[in-house]
Amino acid sequence: MKRWFLSLPGPMAVKIVIAAVIVIVALVALFYFYDWIGTNLLDTGGTIG
Amino acid sequence: MVIVRRVVRAIGWTSIVAGLLILGFVVQQLFVTTWLSQQQQEALTEQAEEHFATVEIDEVEYVPPSTTGTVSVGTEEGTNGSISEGATGTTTERGEPLTPKKRTLLVESTPDKGTAFAIIRIPTIERLQDGWTVVEGVRLRDLKNGAGHMPNTPLPGQPGNAVISGHRTTHGAPFHEFEELNPGDIIEVDTALGTHTYEVRETIIVRPTEMWVTEPRDGAWLTLTTCHPKFSARQRLIVFAEMVDGPNWETIYA
Repeated sequence: MKRWFLSLPGPMAVKIVIAAVIVIVALVALFYFYDWIGTNLLDTGGTIG
Repeated sequence: MVIVRRVVRAIGWTSIVAGLLILGFVVQQLFVTTWLSQQQQEALTEQAEEHFATVEIDEVEYVPPSTTGTVSVGTEEGTNGSISEGATGTTTERGEPLTPKKRTLLVESTPDKGTAFAIIRIPTIERLQDGWTVVEGVRLRDLKNGAGHMPNTPLPGQPGNAVISGHRTTHGAPFHEFEELNPGDIIEVDTALGTHTYEVRETIIVRPTEMWVTEPRDGAWLTLTTCHPKFSARQRLIVFAEMVDGPNWETIYA
């Protein structure tokens, strides 16, 4: 993880911004992935047809 | 020895990451979706109350299905009624022509998709004692916010079979305890017309494709549908309830 962070381009401030953006995008993507699995497998909302 | 240590370490990290992902899934589905739904419910309740105050209410003639061949209500543009089938007979037993007594049915205009227009309350189910807002439509985004009324079925309070679907385990899980419902339990639905009271007649479990549960019925019915068993979308738990009181009850059942 530390190695990945240090390999990001630019000075430390830029590294932090890039890392934060990547983490946020990953979390949002994960959220939608969870939502997709949940609504397709766990609970569709009980609709008929 | 070094290889074994590396393999064990890799398995260990993989297990930790997999565990965190599964934990995240459970937290997101059970808590985050519920929290988001509750936030939406507050806004939707306000929207429903505004809808009650502003929606146009019409009076249309209702002829009971037992006295004519075909009955249609809500024929004015933008109103939601139902068509009852299977009517028999246009004369009395003595052969005299039957003149149906004119009855007036209150109807409200069909809400736009996604609009909150009703509040459902079930006194015997704790999480529904204070009510849960019903929106028009059963798209995924509709059901994330509230229970959803199936388009092309009558609105609650109208003759026929009004169908409402809701989540069982996620997004606030409004229909979570539906297996506890028994015949005789009361379901109340507030709409712009007033409070419609239904009594549970039957609960059944069907496949998700069994459309017959949504078909029109004589009288005024409310059909609630949700996933079954809990944490699975394999089947549907269906609750059939019949109207026993409300602004249109006398008109429909007199």
